[in-house]
Amino acid sequence: MTAVVAPTPAAAEAPKSAPTAVPRADRRATTWLTWLFLAPTLLGLGLFTMVPIVGSILLAFFRWDIISDPQFVGFANFAELATDPTVRVSFLNTFGFVVIAVTLQLAVALFLAVLVQSRMPAWLRTFFRSAFFFPLILSAASVSLVMAYLFNAEFGLVNQVLAAINLPEVGWLTTDAGAITVVILVYVWQNFGFTFLLFVGGLASIPRDVYEASSIDGATGWKQFRAITLPLLSPTVLVASVMAIISALQIFDQPYVLTRGGPGDATRTAVMVIFESAFQQLEFGRASAIGIVLTLIIIGVTALQFRLSRRFVFYS
Amino acid sequence: MDLSRRAVLGLAGLGAVGTALSVPRLLATDIPGRGDDVLTVAILGNAQDAAARAGLVAAFNELHPDIGVRIMPIQGQDWSNFFAKILTLVAAGTPPDVVVVATEGAQLFADRLAHPLDEYVKRDAADLQDYFDDVNPSLIESFMYEGSLYQLPIDFNAANVYYNTSALEVAGLERPADGWTHEDFLGYAREMGRANTGSFLPFFWTNRLWGGVVPWLYINDTSFLAETTAPGGEWLWDSFYPGETGRSGGYRWLEPNADDPKVFESFDYLRTIVAEGLGSSPAQGGGGELVARFAQGQIGMTPAGGFWVDGLAEGGMTPADYDVTYFPQWKGQRHQFGAAGYAMMSTSERKDEAWEWIKFCTTREGMRLAFPSPNTTPVRRSMCNDAFYSEKGPAHWQVFYDTLDNLPSGPIPAPPQQAAVETALIKNVVGAVTAGSDGGVRSALGTLQRDLALALRRSS
Amino acid sequence: MATTLSGPLPGVHTPPTRTRRERGALGSAAKVAVMVVAAFLTLGPVVWTLFTALTPLEAGTGERSFGLGAFADVFVQVDMWLLVWNSALVTGLCAAGQMITAAMAGYVFAKMEFRGKGLLFGLVLATMMVPMQVTIVPVFLLIRGMGLADTLLALIIPAIPTAFGTFLMRQYFLGLPHELGEAAALDGAGPFRTFFSIFAPLAAPGLAIVGILAFNYHWNEFFRPLIMLISEQNFTVPLGLVTLQGNLGTGSVATVLAGVVLSMIPALVVFILGNKPLREGLTAGSNK
Repeated sequence: MTAVVAPTPAAAEAPKSAPTAVPRADRRATTWLTWLFLAPTLLGLGLFTMVPIVGSILLAFFRWDIISDPQFVGFANFAELATDPTVRVSFLNTFGFVVIAVTLQLAVALFLAVLVQSRMPAWLRTFFRSAFFFPLILSAASVSLVMAYLFNAEFGLVNQVLAAINLPEVGWLTTDAGAITVVILVYVWQNFGFTFLLFVGGLASIPRDVYEASSIDGATGWKQFRAITLPLLSPTVLVASVMAIISALQIFDQPYVLTRGGPGDATRTAVMVIFESAFQQLEFGRASAIGIVLTLIIIGVTALQFRLSRRFVFYS
Repeated sequence: MDLSRRAVLGLAGLGAVGTALSVPRLLATDIPGRGDDVLTVAILGNAQDAAARAGLVAAFNELHPDIGVRIMPIQGQDWSNFFAKILTLVAAGTPPDVVVVATEGAQLFADRLAHPLDEYVKRDAADLQDYFDDVNPSLIESFMYEGSLYQLPIDFNAANVYYNTSALEVAGLERPADGWTHEDFLGYAREMGRANTGSFLPFFWTNRLWGGVVPWLYINDTSFLAETTAPGGEWLWDSFYPGETGRSGGYRWLEPNADDPKVFESFDYLRTIVAEGLGSSPAQGGGGELVARFAQGQIGMTPAGGFWVDGLAEGGMTPADYDVTYFPQWKGQRHQFGAAGYAMMSTSERKDEAWEWIKFCTTREGMRLAFPSPNTTPVRRSMCNDAFYSEKGPAHWQVFYDTLDNLPSGPIPAPPQQAAVETALIKNVVGAVTAGSDGGVRSALGTLQRDLALALRRSS
Repeated sequence: MATTLSGPLPGVHTPPTRTRRERGALGSAAKVAVMVVAAFLTLGPVVWTLFTALTPLEAGTGERSFGLGAFADVFVQVDMWLLVWNSALVTGLCAAGQMITAAMAGYVFAKMEFRGKGLLFGLVLATMMVPMQVTIVPVFLLIRGMGLADTLLALIIPAIPTAFGTFLMRQYFLGLPHELGEAAALDGAGPFRTFFSIFAPLAAPGLAIVGILAFNYHWNEFFRPLIMLISEQNFTVPLGLVTLQGNLGTGSVATVLAGVVLSMIPALVVFILGNKPLREGLTAGSNK
């Protein structure tokens, strides 16, 4: 068996050509099966993703509040975005957040994935794996709710602990730096578990004998990690980072519940501005315009990653 | 993970049967009254809030047996959330006929969704005279928009100062005079802070439109938006409030006003309070265990209105444990309030029935049924009485209505772009009051001015 | 990061100073200590939540005392059973639908050859990059057109086709040897029988992963229900939790947290049941 998510060498090299000499009836049945099996997914994604995207693109050229008739405004929505300070700040926030949160998420996950490989009783390993994965099963909204209580500046547990050990209390959700820190911590806390599992899977698929061979050559520790682990893990790192970046670019729940984007605009993200424009300010055209810009950015970043990956990712 | 084929099939069958049995739930056809031809009244609240109005509906039906009424509770964390849901209903093609609308959304509804009540009010003037006689005109004026009346208010809350009696006594302080000043307030806060220990806060406040910075702006005779009034409305004032002068056709908030020196003064005052540790650094949204903290004596003073009485009683406070007084005076002592009432949707096909409901809810009987306990303040002066507050207090409950009758007052600033305006305000308040210097306050107010200008320019 | 590599490997030529065994033992202890701290940080907030929910503030006295009062309060304040039923319907049907459609599409993308395959698969993957907030308004209008506004089906139908699930299942089927199908074909099995009797059963662990992830996602989903559902009778558990917070956040913290704890239970059960396939599925390469 091969790993499911990480395209391991075996998966990447799976035979692509269908077997020859298939009876004609079977070939017709195969065609039937192909399109019948694809139909629900293709039609579903077409109707509920592709059509709405086209709708959203059209909507971006209108001013519309859902109640009145839509009004065609050309590129006005896009032009306004360029000059709107809130939009600019929210995109910058989102980029900064993605860089820090994804780096942290990958680093923590990789570090712990390597650690959990070390020798220990099986039950302990299971416990650690489950513990690191656990936050994933909670909803982002209720996690943020819990964290808001914990990081409350006046009554929260975190500041009480800081005070107890004679450290200065921090205005976690009331200062720019504090709020950004909390949003990043809460996001990484909840999401590193998935990346962790991917890495555990990737590490496990590296054959033991590669290490043994290199040990004989005198490579140990950090050197071995650089020379063997990282290159052999690079396909998993690529998949993990693509997924982490796509989802971090869409961050919403944590800042929405924790800070509502504040203080000031410190934690306002692109998706929050989409939500506020659409469902609070009733500017659906403007919201669509922001959404399209964000989508283009996501597509661009992902394409760039795959491009760069040709240089850095090592397929055996 | 080797589930046998039989187990898989069995599970699938079970799932299919369960799903089949749940079809009414999936299609929501099991919700009583859904799609019925009745008067639909949307309220902010949950099923319990809707059930609490069963008596009101029954009494209404005694009067109008032919008008079926369905109370539709709509959940929302705050008003903007609630309005978004109403819009969703409109967009979904199932708009309600009548909606409870608070000051926050009054102009948005008047601008786009609501039907003016002018003709109905004129037609039934005789029935309504008793109501207007009993209601302070400021409340009525707050629901006028460009000369027309869109709602008849049923309840309101002005921002007063609640204080914990024992926190006051520990500091050796007396109940402040009605005309205390903002300097007195600072003195009270300092004394309380000195006398009470532990995680005690002399002043707790929340960063939101109602009861946030606005009371401090209003007592200083300013606001973060320039306030002007619309002409018109004489049709109402002349017939129901003869002798009342200076009333208008409703408020207009068209321009930002954060660069007013008096706005700076108020913000700088709040900055001092926060910097000295006398007031909380304003939290966003709700106050968490505010009731519990206040009841435990960890909070000295906080802005609240009549709506809090019920909650404090539930939190275990007796009338002797706390009391209420006015906001202090500065250049003036104008108080801010928020009110709510039923609005008639312009899309409704049952406008006459809707009007009967709105009218019924303004009667003494309707109001008594709607507000059995003090979790808000009824707009009828005669209903804010000893009987209403006898068990739960506070001692000076007269403050709630006297705020309107004895002091200048006005609604919180809520133009049709209220959601964008509130966002702009909330997000800049924290920066301003936690700034290290008055220069920091100035720059935060500069940003506020810019954001408000953008917010007001949008839509409408 | 110098200590990241696993314990002593056979034949390692270690530098002097300490014996290999000593270093390994010390290193392992340090590693376990680091992981204990990490586990404490991940589980700590959960434990605090449980503890706070079990020790509500007493009205009046302001004391915290141990008891299930907050949990009882949840059932008084919201119709928890209805919330759970709604959530179970949405989650169960989404998970079942995703498993079926993802298995079929993933199989075709892994094992069949046809024109335009690369392009179609690319399109399917591309839909993952579109933020849901961008499409929600047009989706809402489509749902309205179907007459399903403010129903649970409004949440279920658009969520059944799944790009991520299709991707997962394709990867899974790619890992199954092609020869299995050829052998079945030699035995006279048609393509449908080959799928249902050979490949589908073998793909059960992969399907379990799709199902578990779908369950987890939709059980906790907040944004779509917030937009799509209006009537309280249609609310799912996460929306019910918001109700507990009360208007302007005046609800009791213990009650809110008790609600959070209750909402965790089904996800926890699925997590425990699914822990094994999930771990094996995602770490499968090890048994090769």
